[in-house]
Amino acid sequence: MAENLASKDWEPKIVAIVCNWCTYAGADLAGISRIQYPPNVRIIRVPCTGRINPFYIVKALQTGADGVLVSGCHPGECHYISGNLVARRKFAALKSFLSYIGMEGDRTMFTWVSASEGDRFAQVIRGVTAKVKALGPADKLKKKLG
Amino acid sequence: MENIETKLREEAKRLLLEKKADVIIGYEKGTLPLTATPCFITTPEEADKLVWNDLCTQNLAKFVHDLITAHKNSQKRVKPEDRKKKIIGVVARGCTTRSLIIHLQERQYGRDEVYIIGVPCTGYVDSKGLKAAINGADIIEGSIEGEKIKMKTSAGEKSVALKDVLADSCRTCRFNNPIISDVMVGNLAPSMNPDSEYDDVKDFEAKSIEERWAYFTKEMEKCIRCNACRQACPSCYCPTCFVEQSQPQWVGIGEDKTDTQVFQFMRLYHMVGRCVDCGSCVAVCPMGVDLRKFLKKIDKDCWELFGNRAGSSLEDMPPLGKYNEHGDKEDFIFNP
Repeated sequence: MAENLASKDWEPKIVAIVCNWCTYAGADLAGISRIQYPPNVRIIRVPCTGRINPFYIVKALQTGADGVLVSGCHPGECHYISGNLVARRKFAALKSFLSYIGMEGDRTMFTWVSASEGDRFAQVIRGVTAKVKALGPADKLKKKLG
Repeated sequence: MENIETKLREEAKRLLLEKKADVIIGYEKGTLPLTATPCFITTPEEADKLVWNDLCTQNLAKFVHDLITAHKNSQKRVKPEDRKKKIIGVVARGCTTRSLIIHLQERQYGRDEVYIIGVPCTGYVDSKGLKAAINGADIIEGSIEGEKIKMKTSAGEKSVALKDVLADSCRTCRFNNPIISDVMVGNLAPSMNPDSEYDDVKDFEAKSIEERWAYFTKEMEKCIRCNACRQACPSCYCPTCFVEQSQPQWVGIGEDKTDTQVFQFMRLYHMVGRCVDCGSCVAVCPMGVDLRKFLKKIDKDCWELFGNRAGSSLEDMPPLGKYNEHGDKEDFIFNP
């Protein structure tokens, strides 16, 4: 809370839920290639984007994340054949419904990053961080403690 | 209507006599004036209790699922060769058959375990709307005569046109006749007005983001978390609902407003491709939360994104259980 109130040096907290096989490896590659990207992102590794319960995203927003990024393998490249394709449908409906109730669309982002795209991973993080920064601290759906 | 009612009773009697169904779920006259309540008929004599009119509100598919689940649980400790099969007969209008289709799609029970008595539907009376139409007076006695509801109320005699107090979901209903049935009672009903079904949603979408959020929070502040919407919903049949789950605890049980918002949001989201717009949740909500505005959006998205209308075809799969590799929309994917 305190850090969010100081608007000047406020930095967004972004939760990135990434799949083990593509994006996590892509993040790894970005790391070993020494590509710089903003440190605002907290990565959570899951086996596949298809494993992500939409509740994870809503819950992250409720418990204090300013933005949520979900990233997996490109369509057709899923380690489990179709996990990301099923997830894509879930997320399309989720994102649309979140903006329908009045949540800013840029707080929930979905993208694909493959294991060889360290560059793209850094770009995605830069892009998402800039977008969430522009929106400012989240207050909708966010639980106020105390 | 009377004609359908007599045929319905005959049909129910025949099914019970011929042992084609062990129990028939239908509607009987309610204890309060101008109400109908679900009832369970097990003997041919009782079949005369059945009614079918514009006051039959609840979606009976809920009880079909409840009965079959209870029966299956009771058979768990019985030797496989001694297990008894139970066939549930159900009086089903359009939305009830859609809910049954959703259960069948989700492999909740077999098609042979349910006997569907299809009835045509011309919409049901929204009790809250009726109450509002007579300025909140208490109904002492009432009857439906043709297109009019005649009532004796605490504020004198009143008469209301039936079409003025129909539930919102019935006015724009697309499937008011049964989609699947084993036997059909009565002739098909004339279609309602489905072309305007998304008008509300489109108006709401056109509003600014702040207005939408203000409306959502305003509606959710009414919610007292009584879970009546979940209890009435035929698609909400999980043995343990996420609301009661404690490991992990998805939603807090306190009165924090974000917990209510998250609960409602997730329950609504669970209806993707599963909400048949039967209006049961809206009818049972004691606080009058405008759930339909949000549920209809989910229905619209499901149609626009996946080309699926919940429970409209028995051959179809649930939209979130399948995918179209090259056809699904990808415009929401972020590309830096």
